Amino acid sequence: MEILINPLSLLVILPAAAGLALLAVPRENSGALKGVTLTATLLTLLVSFKLYAGFSPAETGMQFQLNLPWLPSYGINYFIGIDGVSLLLIMLTALLMPVAVLASFSYIKEAQRGYYVCLLFLQTSMIGVFAALDLFLFYLFWEGMLIPMYFLIGVWGGPRRIYAALKFFIYTMAGSVLMLAAILWVVSAHHAVTGAWTFSIPALYEGALTPAAQFWLFAAFALAFAVKVPLFPFHTWLPDAHVEAPTAGSVLLAGVLLKMGVYGYMRLAVPLFPAAAAVFAPWLAALGVVGIIYGSLVAWSQRDMKKMVAYSSVAHMGVIVLGIMCLEPAAVSGAVLQMVNHGLSTGALFLLVGVLYERRHTRMIEDYGGLAKVMPGFAAVFMIVTLSSIGLPGLNGFVGEALILFGSFRVYPWLAAAAVSGVILSAVYMLGMYQEVVFGPVRHAENKALPDLNAREWLYLLPILALIVLIGVCPNPVLRRAETAVNVYIDLAHRAAPPAVRK
Amino acid sequence: MEHANYAASALSVPLLLALSAFAVLLLPLFIKALRGTQGLIALSAVLAALTFSRLAPQVGLSLFSGALLINPASSYLWIFALCVLALVISLSVSRAPVREESGGEYYFLLIMSTLGLMVLMAAGDLFTAFIALELLSLPLYALAGIRRTRPGLEAAYKYFMLGAFGSALTVMGIALLNSIYPGLSFGELKTVTPDPLALAGFLLVISGFAFKTALVPFHMWVPDAYEGAPTQISAFMGAAVKAGGVVILWRLYGLFDGGPVREIFWWLAVITVVTANLMALGQKGLKRLLAYSSVAHAGYLAVAFFGGTRGFEAVLYYLPVYAMATIGAFAVALALEKGDKGPLIDDLAGLARTRPWLAAAMSSFMFSLAGVPPLAGFFAKFYAFAGAVSAGYTGLVVIAVIMSAVSVYYYLKVTVVMYMKPAAGESDSEPLGSLGFVIGLMAAGVILAGIFSRPLLVLAAEASRWF
Repeated sequence: MEILINPLSLLVILPAAAGLALLAVPRENSGALKGVTLTATLLTLLVSFKLYAGFSPAETGMQFQLNLPWLPSYGINYFIGIDGVSLLLIMLTALLMPVAVLASFSYIKEAQRGYYVCLLFLQTSMIGVFAALDLFLFYLFWEGMLIPMYFLIGVWGGPRRIYAALKFFIYTMAGSVLMLAAILWVVSAHHAVTGAWTFSIPALYEGALTPAAQFWLFAAFALAFAVKVPLFPFHTWLPDAHVEAPTAGSVLLAGVLLKMGVYGYMRLAVPLFPAAAAVFAPWLAALGVVGIIYGSLVAWSQRDMKKMVAYSSVAHMGVIVLGIMCLEPAAVSGAVLQMVNHGLSTGALFLLVGVLYERRHTRMIEDYGGLAKVMPGFAAVFMIVTLSSIGLPGLNGFVGEALILFGSFRVYPWLAAAAVSGVILSAVYMLGMYQEVVFGPVRHAENKALPDLNAREWLYLLPILALIVLIGVCPNPVLRRAETAVNVYIDLAHRAAPPAVRK
Repeated sequence: MEHANYAASALSVPLLLALSAFAVLLLPLFIKALRGTQGLIALSAVLAALTFSRLAPQVGLSLFSGALLINPASSYLWIFALCVLALVISLSVSRAPVREESGGEYYFLLIMSTLGLMVLMAAGDLFTAFIALELLSLPLYALAGIRRTRPGLEAAYKYFMLGAFGSALTVMGIALLNSIYPGLSFGELKTVTPDPLALAGFLLVISGFAFKTALVPFHMWVPDAYEGAPTQISAFMGAAVKAGGVVILWRLYGLFDGGPVREIFWWLAVITVVTANLMALGQKGLKRLLAYSSVAHAGYLAVAFFGGTRGFEAVLYYLPVYAMATIGAFAVALALEKGDKGPLIDDLAGLARTRPWLAAAMSSFMFSLAGVPPLAGFFAKFYAFAGAVSAGYTGLVVIAVIMSAVSVYYYLKVTVVMYMKPAAGESDSEPLGSLGFVIGLMAAGVILAGIFSRPLLVLAAEASRWF
């Protein structure tokens, strides 16, 4: 019963249980399907508030821990717990989920039951990834996420959905299987030294691996996470998946799934293999910066709004990776904050593109223009989100980016300088798009009668807007919750090279 | 005394099975009312045998001067074989593989073959193993061609020719070994380091059993036999026959602590996972795809060998999990079958719309075979690879996991067709009947046996200690 009393465990299980319950609802009953899904996601959000309230920022250990034996002969436990970083990402997931569900109500018309079941299972695996403290459990959720996302893109996606879904699945799977081999290696090495089988992540932090072994293990983990982030040059699945996925899929992909890669670096790759991390960190930071510039330039040349936002994601994630690879408190805190910010602002951008697409069935920039006159509410929201995305002071994006850039100047001054150019570029293309879409004369007759945002759309956009402003004005509650976890991460990464005990 | 009782009750299972085989064959000849019910008779006999078989107490008995070893391992495998048989008979009852007026020979052959499989799994020496192998194989040759259609006969012919070749290799190898180790029992073979002649013998025997297990390069019969045989029999070949080969190969593998034989196993495993997965990519027929998938899984099982006892524990878990996915997938193929050849992958188009539950079950089988969590196939692969890595064979596992990432493509192809392509024409949905029951059972199995793998894993761990 403990598995349901612990609020964290409840968060993991609730969506999946709701997904199973949904199978019992008759598939024609669209109202009930939507109702059950929305209720389940709102309940999840409610439970996550409880988590937020009960979380004490000063504590260094993992909180809300639950450790139940599962497969004892392999030392595999149902072991979950969170620190500040996972708390924030879980909150983000719990918040974006009802938003994604609301955004799907009018968009998804076919096979609704399957769609909502996929969404709910996806949520369980997303929260599970952030909550898992057992390496096996982590991998289970990490890979388990592929099936629902694959169906979301492949069944309810755009015209090239089959290609995009297959590419997404195979890229991610190919990136992750080597991580599986590496996980087995880490655990066997730990067993060889201590004589005990365990997949517990905190226990494995104490592992004593030679730098040579760490090198390969880090490479295997880093590849899996680099595909997911995605770091340049492993990003090619992302534009396809984003463009073809339904709006809710894009929101969750950008908002949560990409964060799983960064989270993987913070929770696993760097703390497990500190010696190798010291070698790899500058290279990964450099790849992040390449991603910033490359992503920005490519985004600049896009005429499809969704594609532009997708490539801007590559750039933003590059900034975040630069931040966490600096191993410096300000930069890492900024990166954690920026993960939340990116989830909010890019999520909102995809929602807004979805709003336009539902009305006009096109995402091309040149098909719009002058929307400020016909959709004033939309134009205002779009403005705030765009400014947040490019990092205007006073909104959330600024705080995160500024912290990352300040922090990284101390560690990698040249990389930071290059990263600044990407930030400037993002202003160029985002504002350019905004101008073409919203200002000027109404160029197309079809656009004259576009209805403004309706109540449901306001309902799911307002919470995001509120957070964008709130975090921009007062980022401290977020930063304070992440602070301890960030320091623990940096300490783990800076551990002296462990004594040379051969595997 | 207790042991004697136990031996008697353990042996009652194969005896009962043999008896029921003859009953199925002969009773309907004399009693007209029983004609057409052979399947039900066979099914009830197998279920009765299942109730007789129990998990053994923790003792190992050696019967008939070492020919049969009765221990927890053999009873685990026997129960597995009986379950597969029961499922295959259920498939045959719901979709008759042969014309109604034909006699009970189909079930007779099927049961006899299972009997051979059971003896093979408990064999204590190589000679018994060979006889059991023949008892397993001969009925299968006939079963592959029992419909007497062109593809069926072609399958039977190819299977028979290559199978006979494999048997000849085995006999040759056994003869060589017999000249050096007169007893031929596995215990006796273990005690020595082989001289060149014995090594040649071992290699021949391994090749012979690699035929049955379908390891590359001994897999040539598999695609044609699986495609041409009645689908029920293809399921039986995939789920059960492979298991018999795997058990004997494990016994042979366990005789060596290193040296050339282990190296040969290493290469067999690598060549099998690489070739089978690459060949599967281009397949168009569903049954052919499953055939190559079965070869690939034989390769993963060979990888698991390298984990030692822990690896064999994984093998014992892997076999039922793989069997569930395979039987399920073949059952779906059976449900969609029209005519003698199985359905093409493209024939599954639009299945998600026309028969959503069937499509959902099929995708659970595909994801399980691909090894995607949280399905049981992932757990099976995880255990299989965990042992090999902890024994130091990381390179082998890296190759295996990369190839299993390749395999994702062809398993996904099936789900793409079902969920993302429109149906070609309107389909006549023949009601599934008891076929649906088997499919549902298998789907529940692959979904639950992973997350709740503890009970099965505990049994497998106990059984693996007796090898």
